[in-house]
Amino acid sequence: MAITSVKNLKEFSTSNDRFEGAHLLCPGCAHSMIVRELMNCTDDNLVISTNTGCLEVSTAVYPYTSWDTSWIHIGFENAATAAAGAEAMYKARKRKGTLKNPDAPVKFVAFGGDGSTYDIGFQWLSGAVERGHNFTYICLDNENYANTGGQRSSATPIGASTTTAPAGRVSYGEKRNKKDMLAIMAANGASYVAQVAPNKWKNMAQAFQKALSTDGPCYINAMSACTTEWKFDPKDTINISDLATDSLAFPLYEIINGTELNITYRPKNVLPVKDYLAAQGRFKHLFKPENAHVLEEWQKRVDEKWEYLQRREEARV
Amino acid sequence: MAEKIDLQEIEVWDGNYAAAQAMRQAQIDVVAAYPITPSTPIVEGYANFMADGYIDGEFVMVESEHAAMSGCVGAAAAGGRVATATSSQGFALMVEVLYQASGMRLPIVLNVANRALAAPLNVRGDHSDMYLGRDSGWVQIDAFNAQEVYDMNLCAFRVGEHHDIRLPVMVHQDGFVTSHTAQNVRPLSDDDAYKFIGEYKPMDELLDFSRPVTHGAQTEEDWHFEHKARQHKALMDARPVIESVFAEFEKVSGRKYKRVESYMIEDAEVIIVALGSTVESARLAAQQLRDEEGIKAGVVGPRVIRPFPFDAIRDALENCKAIGAMDRSCPGGALGMLFNEVSAAVYTTAKRPLVTNYIYGLGGRDLAIVDIKAIFRELKANADAGKITTQIQQFIGLRGPKLAFFETREGK
Amino acid sequence: MSNVLSNEKRGMRELGAEKKVGWNEVTHGVVLHSFEDDAADIALRKAEDRKYSEFSSYTATVASWRVIKPVYNRDICIDCQNCWVWCPDSSIISRDKQILGIDYDHCKGCGVCVEVCPTNPKSLLMFGEALSSDDAIAQWPVKEKKEK
Repeated sequence: MAITSVKNLKEFSTSNDRFEGAHLLCPGCAHSMIVRELMNCTDDNLVISTNTGCLEVSTAVYPYTSWDTSWIHIGFENAATAAAGAEAMYKARKRKGTLKNPDAPVKFVAFGGDGSTYDIGFQWLSGAVERGHNFTYICLDNENYANTGGQRSSATPIGASTTTAPAGRVSYGEKRNKKDMLAIMAANGASYVAQVAPNKWKNMAQAFQKALSTDGPCYINAMSACTTEWKFDPKDTINISDLATDSLAFPLYEIINGTELNITYRPKNVLPVKDYLAAQGRFKHLFKPENAHVLEEWQKRVDEKWEYLQRREEARV
Repeated sequence: MAEKIDLQEIEVWDGNYAAAQAMRQAQIDVVAAYPITPSTPIVEGYANFMADGYIDGEFVMVESEHAAMSGCVGAAAAGGRVATATSSQGFALMVEVLYQASGMRLPIVLNVANRALAAPLNVRGDHSDMYLGRDSGWVQIDAFNAQEVYDMNLCAFRVGEHHDIRLPVMVHQDGFVTSHTAQNVRPLSDDDAYKFIGEYKPMDELLDFSRPVTHGAQTEEDWHFEHKARQHKALMDARPVIESVFAEFEKVSGRKYKRVESYMIEDAEVIIVALGSTVESARLAAQQLRDEEGIKAGVVGPRVIRPFPFDAIRDALENCKAIGAMDRSCPGGALGMLFNEVSAAVYTTAKRPLVTNYIYGLGGRDLAIVDIKAIFRELKANADAGKITTQIQQFIGLRGPKLAFFETREGK
Repeated sequence: MSNVLSNEKRGMRELGAEKKVGWNEVTHGVVLHSFEDDAADIALRKAEDRKYSEFSSYTATVASWRVIKPVYNRDICIDCQNCWVWCPDSSIISRDKQILGIDYDHCKGCGVCVEVCPTNPKSLLMFGEALSSDDAIAQWPVKEKKEK
């Protein structure tokens, strides 16, 4: 695989953009930071599929496309299967000798939001990973259905207020904690699984490059801070992301071949998770006295998860 | 290279195996499929060909019919020949992606072994799934027997992949009666079949890296209508393409097909319009009535359901006096699809024959020759009276009190 | 230096200002080709060396979304490339490891680039859309003492 150097930012900045401006994503949206970086970290040809969602409705609205590579959208749930179908066609045509660019290296990548990944497209993703297609699935996890105005998904964390699980006089919002997609994908047979965040650009680029150069299905959960639905100022996308990774609300780690877990980022100073929550409007109500127990629950879960990840890393199982 | 099979001049195949053989001969690049009764043996047959080295392409067994069609769309956009098979509930699960395949103008061949739709769950043949697909923008071709399943599969690739058309194509056959009944089939040799279908010529393919392409863009109110209109035009334009493909097929096979098949209609006073294996039963009934009772009975079977042969069906029906439109799908609070579409076609003729609607055979209920003869006699009574003498929609072959709707207003 | 390294097609028109052609002229199957020439080596080409088709959003502008804009001050910049890597609109123009400026056709004015700029004073600051870049630079703040 033709890898772009990510040794340092100066080196990386010599790569050429293949994701164009004048897309319709919100100002400050992390989606495009993640997508752009994925496309910049390799020179290989890309065949990209995308589930319906913010990314799709913002980057391919007729008569415009923001994609400089091959790209396909079918529906809300089936980007994994679209990539699988294209990958199968590549294998068949390579074997039969009918490809126009038979020697050109190509990577297959699917993007989905958390709604289409954790919820409606879960089966399609699971099937494509189980079948062992050689592709990388990247979930742009902004923890809600942002494209349709902020409804809860199974990636919505406890205590978040969404339009379908709002905080109110007798509710603190979401009652359940988010589904552990990384564990599920590792158990599903993904060759490489990682959680990344755009503020840790190098960590993210390295995970992308590992996934793209791995033979077999890979799953990457990319935290995508959502200025509109998390309710913070667009300029603060990276600041919020820093709070997320440094409070361990979004721990960064990878799982290789379903067993080998490595923590890929250890904050020097771990911040209290309430610092992360306090910076976002969706958690504002948690700072009322009656919701103090939710803040405690949040911190407890973060601590437990971090403890678990460290034990898994140590145990090498 | 895949090995070839030396076929006999006459093989004994059921409809499913005929479809699987045609798919093998087409040298498909990707089949993404999920099994469902009664189409399962198509996929199983193809899997066996794969296991024995007769297939060069990829065979992807996915986790649902929705994924099967999704995989087909992804594969088709990547620039190669694609086909699959399904029935009933699986077809229903595919529906979202059927519309996406046609809107994206991707030629995919879908074999449908027609079956009833739940609830209540039923595995037997009727046309509910076929009717569910009728606004999906696909070319829909109907085979009345196993030979035609084979022939129509070969033609389907030619029609769908034609660069002026570029639309997905369904090949329908009746679940069980056609799909599971062994019949004599005269296949083409592997070489002749592939020569007829031809090599796949990609367009706008994801795998042409010198021309990066975006598939599946969004269109809102300022563009959507134009795209759907262009798609409809392509489907309407498939009519002459289908005719030319049928003409070429006749040259290589000796078998002649038309967009609307008709039997004994030249002097027919009464005509039954039906789909699937019922066309064959109705032909038998019509012949017997001609011989036994002197009723000038004829049969019309739309070979192509979409694009609806409004022109050809009008030509076939305009000179008769009474028509029975046979719908094998519960019409859900309306008159049946064939009734509505046939009526619309003949309404634009000078003579306007009388049209009545028969709902029959739901969930695999048998329709006997004697039942069809009774329909012809009712049509004859209508023809003689110059008006509809029964109710306009009747359920036939149904237990319990007579179920029928609407009287004619003729003469009032 | 208001609009650096602009490929002649960049930001040609507002979104929605494109010609609305009839049903017989829309693309077959809603496909959109990104380039006019052979683009097999596109990953190796800079924007100014590419032949974008009119379907590429590169040829459109979203400048009208902006109410405030970032202004770039070359004199202070250390070319760390933070603004380049985190710009969500591919609007920081960087060539040969140097920042050249801002693509005002595609910048939406989110202000992320200013937030991630590590210099003191910052090499990027937000100003009102109407203010000229020269006027903005004239009122650039001096080095601040670190807080805390």
